[in-house]
Parts: sequence; structure tokens; C-alpha cells
Amino acid sequence: MSTTEHCPSEANAAIGKMRGPEHGPKNIDVSALVDTEGGLIDRSIYTDPGIYDQEMRRIFARSWLFLAHTSQFKKPGDFFTTFMGQDPVIVTMDKTKTIRAYLNSCRHRGVRLCRADAGATKMFTCTYHGWSFDLAGALKTVPNEKAYPEDFDKKDWSLIEVPRLSEYKGLLFANWDKDAEDLEDTLGDMRYYMDAMLDRDPEGTEVMGGVMKWELEGNWKLAAEQFATDWYHVNMSHASALMVMSPTGKGPKTEIVATPGRQYVSPNGHGAGFPTHPKSRFDAQAVHEHYDYEALRERLGDAAVEGPMTTGHATVFPSFSYLPVNGSIRIWHPKGPNKIEVWAWILVDKSMPDDVKDAQRLYNLRTFGPSGIFEADDGENWSEIQAISDGFITNSVPLNFQMGIGSEKEDGVYPGQTSELYSDAAGRSFYKHWSKLMNTPAWHEHPAPAPAGE
Amino acid sequence: MSEAINIGTIDDIDEGEARVIPAEENGTDQDIAVFHAEDGNFYALDDTCTHETASLADGWIEGTEVECPVHSAKFCLKSGTALCMPATIAARTHKVEVSGQDVLLYPAVSVVDA
Repeated sequence: MSTTEHCPSEANAAIGKMRGPEHGPKNIDVSALVDTEGGLIDRSIYTDPGIYDQEMRRIFARSWLFLAHTSQFKKPGDFFTTFMGQDPVIVTMDKTKTIRAYLNSCRHRGVRLCRADAGATKMFTCTYHGWSFDLAGALKTVPNEKAYPEDFDKKDWSLIEVPRLSEYKGLLFANWDKDAEDLEDTLGDMRYYMDAMLDRDPEGTEVMGGVMKWELEGNWKLAAEQFATDWYHVNMSHASALMVMSPTGKGPKTEIVATPGRQYVSPNGHGAGFPTHPKSRFDAQAVHEHYDYEALRERLGDAAVEGPMTTGHATVFPSFSYLPVNGSIRIWHPKGPNKIEVWAWILVDKSMPDDVKDAQRLYNLRTFGPSGIFEADDGENWSEIQAISDGFITNSVPLNFQMGIGSEKEDGVYPGQTSELYSDAAGRSFYKHWSKLMNTPAWHEHPAPAPAGE
Repeated sequence: MSEAINIGTIDDIDEGEARVIPAEENGTDQDIAVFHAEDGNFYALDDTCTHETASLADGWIEGTEVECPVHSAKFCLKSGTALCMPATIAARTHKVEVSGQDVLLYPAVSVVDA
């Protein structure tokens, strides 16, 4: 399995004499909307259409975005369609078994080229006029090609390829910025926390079944930020779910409500929180019994097994989140300022026996599937925030992110800066990184060269 | 009448798969695709779709039909008939015989007129 560390084809091919609009879109200075020192966030960042459009340009067009799991691609022609921000992309394995991603839009009249969610194909053929592209993105067939001018060259009309595609332990990420910092460097210390989910099994992980998709009212950041930083809501929002999960007749437990734990705070906007109390594990029983904890301690280290491998939560900036114990990986696809499309996969260790995988699948569905008892609580909160935020007065009252200000430190156990489990630290860092990107021109904003003769 | 070419044994082409015998090997001016159809029999057509440039050997074999991988035209493997748009012209057929374990191709020997 290989990925295109650098785009083999010429992405963003010449567009002849076309230039974009004379003046690019107007950008909003967000520095007055995000106060990460004081822990205040202006609500307009969740509602303003101009800010949302700017996010597409300056966050999603330049960040490493999760695409899919490598186990979704086994042979040439296997494909999966998804989105990078609001841009539709086809992810496929070419004939050399390299995974590549292309803008899912025909170069002729722009129709969505591939309409299937996933499958296997030999060619991607547009349903409008029949332009047909091979697995390497090359335009192979143009019906009635003889009617095109002499200088029409199919090589100029390949699919637009996503220039960077990189894998981290089974997870595929892509970036429209060909000069972006490498994925591994962008993840930095976050890799240690991810490994507690991705590297438990020497065989690695795989996804089970299809992708679960559902829509929510809410801005994408509400979900991404919560998975980065928010254990605080657990005892209140999930009180009933926690009672259901508690051993029958044992009642509420102080060690669950007041669990100790840490929260990783990445300078690149990632975050991961996890209890460090062994009683805070909420595994499926069969999965718990499957694990050889001594071997895991040797493989990952004691701190990883006692911390990030437990009932944790995490976000890789900007929009990929996961829950290790629940075997849930998901992306928050933005669909306008007020809407999220959640795409969620069930992740299992490859060498788990089938009955253990199935136990993990059922546990995932029961807790964080589309109708999971925890998932429903979370979606309700985000939608309730969004439902009222168009009120003028409502939208002018800032939100509070002050918990644990100044608590970040290197604790000598967990890599990078960590805070308490109950803290807004990773949220503040998420928004700090967000506002830095929002206020910095992206790769595509360099002035276009003037056409010859001017 | 051209002579038969031994293109291999019946195990060399899996059911539902096809192999291209290039023009320079088959003696005609066209590449020929030999299909192992889902009825267990072998059939051969000119490899290039009669609609646009595409290899039918890369297509999808269903029953005794092949669907072009590019524009989804379908051809009957037995008769070469174009079964649906956008193809309108039949694909040229070539006789195939199985002799023991061997698959024998008779380039340019039409099945339709036989």
C-alpha cells in the first residue's frame, strides 16, 4: 500500500487564458472574535456565512483532512467518494496500487463524475457527455473528439488531483496545499495519543461494514472542539447513559464522576482527553477480555494503556475525531455554517477474532452509532446551540472557554503540553490555531500572474 | 480460413475474465479479446469497442454479455450484437474452440456466418 506523498500528475492544470476574478474574496480579520488568552469566543464564528466561506479557503483548502481508511482499498479500481470541506473527491487505488484522490467533477461541464458512495471500477465516466478518465486521472475518451480544435490535448484535461495524500497507521489524510508541512510533523506528539488506538495490534486496524452518515443542525466546530477538549459535559449530558452503562444495581460511582485524567493540548489545534483511572474504562466486555494488557503495556508503554487507551476522546485538527474504546472514527463534514454531516466508521483491530469484532461493532452502535445513547446527547447539545444563534442579541454574547487557564504543562508522563481532564485548554488551542490560519493567506492566494501582453 | 492459435489452457483465464491477443499475434489488424463467460464457454470479439476507444477485455462480463468499461455499451459475446446505446455497431466475432484443456482461437473466422 502506498500513497501519493507528492502528486504524480500536474494538479490544477493550466486553464488556458482564464484568470480568476480581479479581486479575490474579502477576508475577515478574526482576531477580535477569538480571545484564547482570556478564554472568550464570539458566537459569530459559528454562524457568519462570510467566516464559513473563509474557512473553506483558509482552513479546509490547506489542512490535512481525513479521507478514509486504507482497508477500504484492496485492489486497483476500488474507490470511495467523500468531501474535503465542501469539495467532492474520489479516492481510488490506481493500477500501481497507489491510493490517489481527485476532485469529483468532470473537467468538461463539471458534473459530479462518480455518484456512487463506494465500489470498484475500471474507469470514471461522466454520465453527461461521456468523457472518461482512468484510475490515474487521465482523460482517455472524448466522444466526437474529432470536432475539437487541433490544439485540444487530452493531457490538459486530466482530473484535478489532490496534490498530497499521506497515511498514518491506516488513516488516509489529504491536503490541497502541495507545500504543506508533512502529515507526521503536523500531527507531532498527537501520534502518541493516536497510537493508543491505531497501534494496539501489530497487524493494525481495519474498518467494519460501511460508513454511517447522519445530519445535524450545528456548526462543524462545535463537534470538533468538543471531541478535542470536552470531558466536562460527560457527567451532565450523559448522566442517563452512564447510569445505563453502570453495573446493574451498583448506582452512581464517585470514581466515574470525579475521575482523574489528562488532556493533550497540541500547538497545531489537535486535542485528546482521557481518564487515567482504571475504573473509567467502558469497554465491551468481550473486547476487554480479548486484550492482553501486559503485552499492551510492553508495546505502548504503561502511560498509554492507563491513559489514552481508556475511554478517551480526540480531534485531529480540523475535523477528524475518534473515540478509542468505542472504536469510532468520524469526520465532521461542514455543510454550511449551520449544518454538519457526520460520517462515522467502526474501527477494529485486525487480528481480533470475529466474535470480538462483532462485540466492538455492537458496542460502537449502542454508544456512539447514529442512535447511540451518548451520540444522541451530543448531537442534541450542538443543535440546541445552533438553533438559537441567529438571534442578534444571542449572537453578541461571547461564550466561555476559561476552564483550566494556565494549567497546561509538561507533566513528565505524557508527551507535549497537557492539562487536566476537565479543562478547556485544547479548545482554546483549537481556536488559536483556527484563528492563525484564518488570518494568514493560503497557498492559493498568491496573486495570479498577469496574462502575456499586458 | 485462418489457422487456430493456441492461446493457453482453460485455467489461464478465470471465469468472468478476458485476455487480449494483440493484432501482431493474431494475424488480423485488430486486437482480439477472448472472454471466459459465466456460462463456462469461451468467446472472442474484437477488443476495441465499436463506439469509442476502449478495451472490452477490461469490461464487465455478465452471463454471456460484456459491458464496456467506459460508456457501458453492451455486446452479446455469442453474436457480437450491440445490445444497447451508445454502441450501434456489432463487434466482430471470432471462433473459439476448447480442445481438451487448450483454448484455440480462429482469428477472423466469424461465428455469426458459420
